[in-house]
Amino acid sequence: MARFIIRRLGGLIFVLLGVSLLTFFLAQLAPADPAGAALGSNAREEQIAAYRQQLGLDQPVVVQYARYMSRLMQGDLGNSIRTRRAVADDLRDFLPATVELTLSALLVTILLGIPLGILAALNRNTWIDAGARILALLGGAMPIFYIGLVLLGVFYRQLQWLPGPGRLDSTLPPPLHLTGLYTVDALLTGNWMVLANAAAHLILPAITLGLFSTAVLLRMTRSSMLEMLGQDYVRTAKAKGLSERLVIGRHVFKNALPPILTIVGILFGSLLSGAVLTETIFNWPGIGRYATTSVTTLDYPAVMGVALVAAIIYPLANTLVDIGYSVIDPRVRAG
Amino acid sequence: MNAQPHAKRWQWTALLVLVAMLASACAAPAAPSAPVAGGEEAAAPAAGDALTRANTLIFALDHSDLITLDPAVAYEFGGILPVGNMYETMVSFNPGETELVPVLATSWDVADGGDMWKLTFTLDPNATFASGAPVTADDVLFSWGRAIDINKSPAFLLIDVCQMTKENITAVDAGVVELKLPKTVSPNVCLSVLTFTVAAVVEQAALEPNLGSDMGESWLNDHSAGSGPYVLNAWERSSTVTLDANPNWWGGDAPAMQRVILQNMLEPANRQAAIETGDADIIQDVGPEVAAALEGNPDVALAKGLSTLLVYASVNATMPPFDNPDARLALRYAINYDNIITLLGGNGELVQEIIPIGFAGHTGNNPFTQDLDKAKELFAKAGVTEGATIPFIVATGTGPGGVEWATVAASIQADLAQIGVSLDIQQMQQSELLTKYRAQELPMLLMNWGPDFTDPDANGTPFANYEAKSLAWRNSWNDPQAIELSQQAAIELDPAKRIELYAQLTEYMQNNGPFAMLFQPTRVYGLRTNVQGFIYDPGDTPNVSLWLISKN
Repeated sequence: MARFIIRRLGGLIFVLLGVSLLTFFLAQLAPADPAGAALGSNAREEQIAAYRQQLGLDQPVVVQYARYMSRLMQGDLGNSIRTRRAVADDLRDFLPATVELTLSALLVTILLGIPLGILAALNRNTWIDAGARILALLGGAMPIFYIGLVLLGVFYRQLQWLPGPGRLDSTLPPPLHLTGLYTVDALLTGNWMVLANAAAHLILPAITLGLFSTAVLLRMTRSSMLEMLGQDYVRTAKAKGLSERLVIGRHVFKNALPPILTIVGILFGSLLSGAVLTETIFNWPGIGRYATTSVTTLDYPAVMGVALVAAIIYPLANTLVDIGYSVIDPRVRAG
Repeated sequence: MNAQPHAKRWQWTALLVLVAMLASACAAPAAPSAPVAGGEEAAAPAAGDALTRANTLIFALDHSDLITLDPAVAYEFGGILPVGNMYETMVSFNPGETELVPVLATSWDVADGGDMWKLTFTLDPNATFASGAPVTADDVLFSWGRAIDINKSPAFLLIDVCQMTKENITAVDAGVVELKLPKTVSPNVCLSVLTFTVAAVVEQAALEPNLGSDMGESWLNDHSAGSGPYVLNAWERSSTVTLDANPNWWGGDAPAMQRVILQNMLEPANRQAAIETGDADIIQDVGPEVAAALEGNPDVALAKGLSTLLVYASVNATMPPFDNPDARLALRYAINYDNIITLLGGNGELVQEIIPIGFAGHTGNNPFTQDLDKAKELFAKAGVTEGATIPFIVATGTGPGGVEWATVAASIQADLAQIGVSLDIQQMQQSELLTKYRAQELPMLLMNWGPDFTDPDANGTPFANYEAKSLAWRNSWNDPQAIELSQQAAIELDPAKRIELYAQLTEYMQNNGPFAMLFQPTRVYGLRTNVQGFIYDPGDTPNVSLWLISKN
């Protein structure tokens, strides 16, 4: 297992190198000047020239890349051209918001997708199955911005059951920064008021972001379960007189799990990259919005920072999934 | 069926999860709390009153441009609003007026000091910082010197416009500051510049121990050291700036709003929902569509004010056909201005000159109405044949006044199409457009300009003076007469003569310049009807004086 993880991490270095190279040189192709964009339309030519020099943008591209990489080796992601802060600080502020949203959406996905998928499979061709399929169809077909606006319109503006956009009521100060995930930090510091408020603020965006992946997972779980239910060993188990609960729980579900786990890993990635729309609709100060603004203002150190973080998170999620396989299936461990 | 019990269990689990989620939502408190940072009580809010929703002002706006709260560095609308409410300058403008009024300086004097102008400021002896320490001449020297040394975006106002140097700022005594300016600078222009946040006074004793490696820039992002009506509680990046009333404010009655929360809200629909539900007391930038939706809502009132921005179409004066002055004039006659004003739905006023309404030197002359015959004749004179195609570059997204840039461009395109000139609209990201504009590469574009300070020179020089390397230069319009007039007007001391010079410049540019000035957009705010004392004044820093606002 240790060797497997080390091999994976070794591969990660090449992925990061590739991503940094690609992002850096793609950014150079943009026909605009990041220093000018950062200083705005009124800035004078001398100011822009001075800022370009300060940023090292007047140097040849290769020199710029070498400088960037040498700083990166020391763990320095550089400074954002637009916010002028260390990119690492920006990421520390914005990444946790997105991670919290993504994990919540993943929770919605798993809590709804898997049980509903199992229910649908066990009650094949009944109204439950039909209902689950309709839900899957709707979740898969409705665009995120539409779901978000409808949910906000109903639960916030009309019924006023749930709070509006944002991570917290603006009158509440955020909890002490430990992980940056408001719910976790509030829990760790025993700040119940903030915990309840942050959790309430998460519900609508998590459902909005998670609905599509819920649909995918529901269908996957259903078909995987159905496939297993038709296997000979299920009939044998039933014939042995095992209870339905044992048959479904220990045999069918466990065998149906690997493909479900794969899908969860993929979904996590797509949730993370899909978060930007949800962030926009729910005024969520996350990394998606940061990335979008950075791209449009050609703030390439910030873009690189986001790209590198994404490049780390995806393989990490995949590694976790692989570890998950070996836990549920001893044959993988042996191999 | 045996499957049923399992199905039931899953149903129950799902139901429980939903109930738990809803319960946590219902448990969410409606009442605000005092700031609790890391479990320890933060400084108690200002004048001793407990914080309630009634004395908290929530102001929702798009302040995604906010990058700093340091007065020496702030140059974005999002930053100037909080900074202008935390720091004070020597002089200022009263909301809605163009006469300078005292703030930290009780009086000031402009004298001819031979080869230089000599400006003398006498500090108000009562002026104190939020810490309780008096504001001294040394603080002024420190603050102005620091802004010059830091040399970030707004520093050119001091360094270039005022031509200030650290050597020319001196403390006569603890309460008197002397500033010497070269004769090439108008002392009145410089006094206008000194109303801007870059010239705000920072408490030296508070900042000096925290200078760090960046002259205190990053420290000032999380702390304030000013003398204004508000102090900084916290800045949550990309989310909220929370200000608390300064309990020691020397300048007037304590602000009614104990706390002001400036909440970043990018989406117009979110701002609309926030004002409708009362989650926000004030929202900024209500576009025509949202304004229509809010109309008739008994809880919301709209407050409109003209901004100081000007939206214009411009052409490159060295690229055919607009290298010919007749073609430029033809463009101005071809545009249907009424249609553009209609598109704005009341969010803009027709202005066909380079000096905006509200500034000295604004003439109010709008000589152009659409005259297609004349436009056609002038184009023909300039050798433009029917079927000519001209690239027309516009930014993506929404422009000032809340209408898409492309919509305004399409209106002009339709006008020119009627006389056989075809405009090829090309949309670009603002950053790309700016880069090409600065490189003098754009044959025709749609853009806006906002003056850097409240003086006609803030528009006169950029629009008319090629040598300033600003708008005239970007459009390759090098016109000696316009340069001469703009320079004369900038340094003229006699107000009447100055206004006359700007009138001449305006007329000259309307006949010869590369600009078709279109409109001055309004800025629209939505206010809960219990909000009192809200004034939007684009000529003042800050645009919104938060300390004047109260709620019933």
